[in-house]
Parts: sequence; C-alpha cells; structure tokens
Amino acid sequence: MAGAEPHRSCGGADVARLNDDAQWIILMGFLVSFSFFFLALVINQSTVVGQTTAESVIEFPKNDIRDIRGVVISSADYPSSDEARMRTDIPAIAMSRKNAVVTFSSPLEINNHTVMNIHYNNGVTEFDENWTSL
Amino acid sequence: MLNTDGQLYTIEGFAAALIMLITAYMVVNATSVYTAGDTHISDMQLEALGTDALRVMDTKESLNTISPLRNMVESTPIGTDNTTFGAMFGNLINNRTTSGLDHIQYTANYSYWNIDDNSVNSAFINASRNLSGGEHAVRATKWVVVEKHLPGDSAWLAQNRTVLVEVLMWRD
Repeated sequence: MAGAEPHRSCGGADVARLNDDAQWIILMGFLVSFSFFFLALVINQSTVVGQTTAESVIEFPKNDIRDIRGVVISSADYPSSDEARMRTDIPAIAMSRKNAVVTFSSPLEINNHTVMNIHYNNGVTEFDENWTSL
Repeated sequence: MLNTDGQLYTIEGFAAALIMLITAYMVVNATSVYTAGDTHISDMQLEALGTDALRVMDTKESLNTISPLRNMVESTPIGTDNTTFGAMFGNLINNRTTSGLDHIQYTANYSYWNIDDNSVNSAFINASRNLSGGEHAVRATKWVVVEKHLPGDSAWLAQNRTVLVEVLMWRD
C-alpha cells in the first residue's frame, strides 16, 4: 500500500496518526485575518483624525483677526471722540458675539507714523501686533 | 522528520492573501466615504463665500461715497427689514457662472453696543428664510464703521460707531 497507512498496529493498540500537513496554511490564515483587523482599525481611526483636523481648521480665526485688525487700524483715522467711542464698541461686541478678548492702544504719533498695539485672544488663538503706519 | 509537502499550499496562501489585501486596498481607495470629519470642507467654502461677499459690500465705489453695506446699516431703522441687502448679498452668494441660481439661504443682523445700559443688542437686517433651528449654518461676520444714531446714544445726532454685521448661511 502506498503512502501513510490509516491504521498501524503499535503493540496491539490503535493510535490515530497526527496530521500536520496544513499547519502553514492555517498560520497564513491567521496572518491574513490579523492584517484585515489592522486595516479595519486604521480605517476606523481615520474618521476620528478627520474630525479633529476639521475642528482645528474651523477653529483658526483667520477672518476674525483680519477683520478686527482692519477695523482697529481704520479707527486711528477718526477724530479722538469717535475713536474713543469705537474703543468701547469693538471690545464689547467682540467679547459678546465672538468670545474674543480684543484690546488696542490709543494711536500714538511717533516720527510721523501712527503706532498702535493690537491684541486678540479667543482662548485658542492669540494674536499680538505692534502696528506702524506707512 | 519535517514534512515539506505543504510548501506549494503556503505559496498559494501568500498569493491569495496578497490578492485579497490589494483588492481591499484598491476598493477602499476608489470610493471616498463622506464622514462627519469632511463637513468642514463645504462649511469653510460657505464661510469664505460669505466673508468675501460682505467684504465686497463694504467696499466704497469711489472716494466720496460710503460702502453699500454701511449705507444699508445706516438707512435701516432698528426693527425694520432692508430688502436692498437681500438683493445684493443674495446675488453675490447665489450667482453662478452658468445660468440658474444657487440655493444658499441667509439671515443677517448686526450687533451694536448700547452705551446707556451697557449691553450688546442685535438689530435685524434681512433674511431669505426664517431660521427653524434645524439648519447646519455657518457664520460670516464683518466689522463696519457706521454713522448712525443707535439706541442708548445720549447725543441725538448720528455718531461714528462700530457694529458687527453677522450673517448665518446655509444650503437647503
């Protein structure tokens, strides 16, 4: 009879022979299933990463800072009585509507240049500028 | 003794695993899933559009005139509607290069500081639709210097004041 014999007499008792032919295939199966697990894990995490990225991108107040900077600089061109009124308007509205602390110094004339300090902080992003007119 | 009968099966297993992984990789890459994290793309575009439109509206047409946005805030008595704002802002955000308009809705108001009772109040400007609360809206804002008599001003005459024009925008 060719090949392994199904039953071989070993001293009177019959013992089933251990078949280890396919062990590698089973191991490969494990490997493949594990790689699928890791792939799923990575895909699962990517949505979380996207969410936090989106939040941080939205949170950066680029337009707010530009806009505040623009209006603060323009306030320097007004007479001091108007400028004083705008000085109360801007920080109060910024705090109430934009949740941002905005302060700016009175415009100073130094060597024919107007100089002003602008400060912005919305709790996440802080911006400070020492502005000098041309 | 080591049995080497299964080597071909092993190689086949490797090949099958590679084919499956590559197929899965290509399928996952070919389709993009719109996740919650992607909403910022359309949100930011809408916000940029609104900010740009407000910027355009707050630009003077010539040296001796005032900007349309400033004119709208100044000429709208508190508690009334300004349809001129709707015509201009609605056009700026909804015009497309092809014929037909986009479907962006908005509601606009401006906030001012009441000197008398030290509070920030809002005044309505115009809206294309009323807010129902279910919209996924973004906010675009613009600081505007206006010459206007606002509630709480002790002086009767119009004074230079800074107000914040706020627009909520959403698609429906």
